[in-house]
Amino acid sequence: MALSQGTRSAIPVILFLLAGFAAPLMAVIWFSFMPPRSFSFAGTPTLENYATIFESTSYISFLWSLGLAVVTVVLLAAICYPVAYGLVRVFGKWATLLTLLFTIPLFVSENIRLYGWVLFLIKNGVLLGSLKSLFGLQLESMLFTVPAIVLGMVYVYLPFMLFPMTLGISMVPNETRDAAFDLGATRWQVFKEVELPLSMPGVVIGFLLTFVLAVGSIAEAKVLGGQSVIPITHDIEIAFTYSQNWPLGSALAVLLMLVVGTLVVLALRRFDLDTFLGRR
Amino acid sequence: MANGSKMSRRNFMQQSALMAAAFAGAGSILPGSAQAAREKELNILCWEGYNSAQVLDPFRTKTGATVKAESLTNDPTMINRLRAGETNVWDLINVNNPWARKVMFPEKLIKPLDRARFEPFFDKMMPEFKPPYKWAMDDSGTELLGMAQRFGPYSFVVNTDKVSRATAEDQGWNLWNDAANDGKYGILESDDWNVFCICCIAGFDPFKTHSDEEVAKFTETAKRVFKGAKVVGDIATMNQSLVAGEIDFHLTGGTYSASPARADGHPEIRGITPKTGPMAGGKGGISWIEITSTVNNPELSPLAADFLEYVQSPEMSHTVAFAEGTFNPVSQMGNPDCFKLFTKEELDAIQWDSLAEEMSRSVEYDIVPDYDKLLDIMTAAKREASGG
Repeated sequence: MALSQGTRSAIPVILFLLAGFAAPLMAVIWFSFMPPRSFSFAGTPTLENYATIFESTSYISFLWSLGLAVVTVVLLAAICYPVAYGLVRVFGKWATLLTLLFTIPLFVSENIRLYGWVLFLIKNGVLLGSLKSLFGLQLESMLFTVPAIVLGMVYVYLPFMLFPMTLGISMVPNETRDAAFDLGATRWQVFKEVELPLSMPGVVIGFLLTFVLAVGSIAEAKVLGGQSVIPITHDIEIAFTYSQNWPLGSALAVLLMLVVGTLVVLALRRFDLDTFLGRR
Repeated sequence: MANGSKMSRRNFMQQSALMAAAFAGAGSILPGSAQAAREKELNILCWEGYNSAQVLDPFRTKTGATVKAESLTNDPTMINRLRAGETNVWDLINVNNPWARKVMFPEKLIKPLDRARFEPFFDKMMPEFKPPYKWAMDDSGTELLGMAQRFGPYSFVVNTDKVSRATAEDQGWNLWNDAANDGKYGILESDDWNVFCICCIAGFDPFKTHSDEEVAKFTETAKRVFKGAKVVGDIATMNQSLVAGEIDFHLTGGTYSASPARADGHPEIRGITPKTGPMAGGKGGISWIEITSTVNNPELSPLAADFLEYVQSPEMSHTVAFAEGTFNPVSQMGNPDCFKLFTKEELDAIQWDSLAEEMSRSVEYDIVPDYDKLLDIMTAAKREASGG
């Protein structure tokens, strides 16, 4: 009967979350069980949409989304760790300026930045046009290819990997490194045994953040890839627009949530953030 | 300290009670004020152009009304918004020709207009729009369902520096049946129209129910056409790729999509209507005519009809033709007072020189009875083309 003070205080937030977060999610899940191409919640629940997906070639889109996300995460890890290390340990007073330079593009819409890349990469554009007029080089453009999509994704999601990594590296106490050196560890040993393990919370958060964002990306494949690749998000968009098959779109969205959710849970089991952060 | 926190909690509770009362008060006031506000409120669901400030601002100033317009780029989505219960949100809906007569009026999604008030406007339009204009009328020919304005031929677009207009018109849809053209063309992301175009490439009329044999041919053609495409994208991407030389021609396009590039100094980008094709009467092209109707809104804004009248004036028709985004001919160009407002450059941009000829070689956009099936096949083909 009597709710605790804490629970009572939390009621507004709980109601807000139920209405603003849980309800739309439940609506999508419920809609995925409605008859195909219907627009009402009142239909007889069916598994038809899921059957359609499993009988179709939707797996191609799922594989593209997951594959592109994995490639993006791996490339970003390779690019961002050295940069993050530099920001924390090497660049000194320049670090603030560099951080600012990495942050400023976030204030410009993603689509505008991607169209900027189109103008840069397109035939007779900034890159190929300059090469042609300056050196007489005539090269094929890489626009509308898979590498162009990967370039766009790496470019767009870079800050989301860089900043958690920077934070992770800055959490490694200098004293620990010094102690390792004093005890005769080589540079490589210090990196492998001390710095990398202690900066893992930042690295894992960066991995998860960029992976989840990259799996949900759509603009890169559309704008830079010229739809040479159809990621699952684009399939969902087509279902909700041209196909007007909201239940199918909902079922695809539910499956995407399940796949990504499972992968994230598995990753979190492997790397327990609480242990990293020293709470246990 | 404990006392202090009690006090502040009490203050908090008082504040909350006040806010709750304010919300409750607002709740009891809102519905009434919303009703009254319909007199000064207008919501338009449309293709881009009608939502531009050039068109809406003078109307806002004139009426002092709050006018909201949402633009979408395909008809089925707009109609399904009404089907999903948004008839009580919108006052006007602007979609292509067949929907008012064949779908929205039979499904009671739109209301007829006052014939006495609106039919005289059709008298001033170009000859093919003379009243009773087929697409503006219901099946029985008694109710006027909407007003006509923008229209145009819409088949495909070429860069005439790469493929001449004569070659493109003669070859028509077979441009896509020539394997040598793989990698030289793009496809506009306009999936409903792409279904029509792929039927034409496959050699049959899109606007009928298709036999199993035709569906099989459609499947094969869709796979081949998407596999051979260099790029699929929006109008800006198509025009940019044509101008830059990434592609030589693209599927689904016409005055509507080519006019922004033409107006920007690229007359080599040209909408093409094939001379012959698989449609009724051996016609090779497809055209569209927009019909704007009043939604069957239980509290329809009285401004809806006023707006329809407002956009008929010569000046506003010219503004609609050249509103931001894409540029299109308007039926009101039949009125000399309207026509004289178009400059030579504007007429060039909308391919006025070949407009009549192209329209006569086109059938009017219609509903594809098995659209859902063909669209699903095409969506799969597009996805599989990316499967390597």
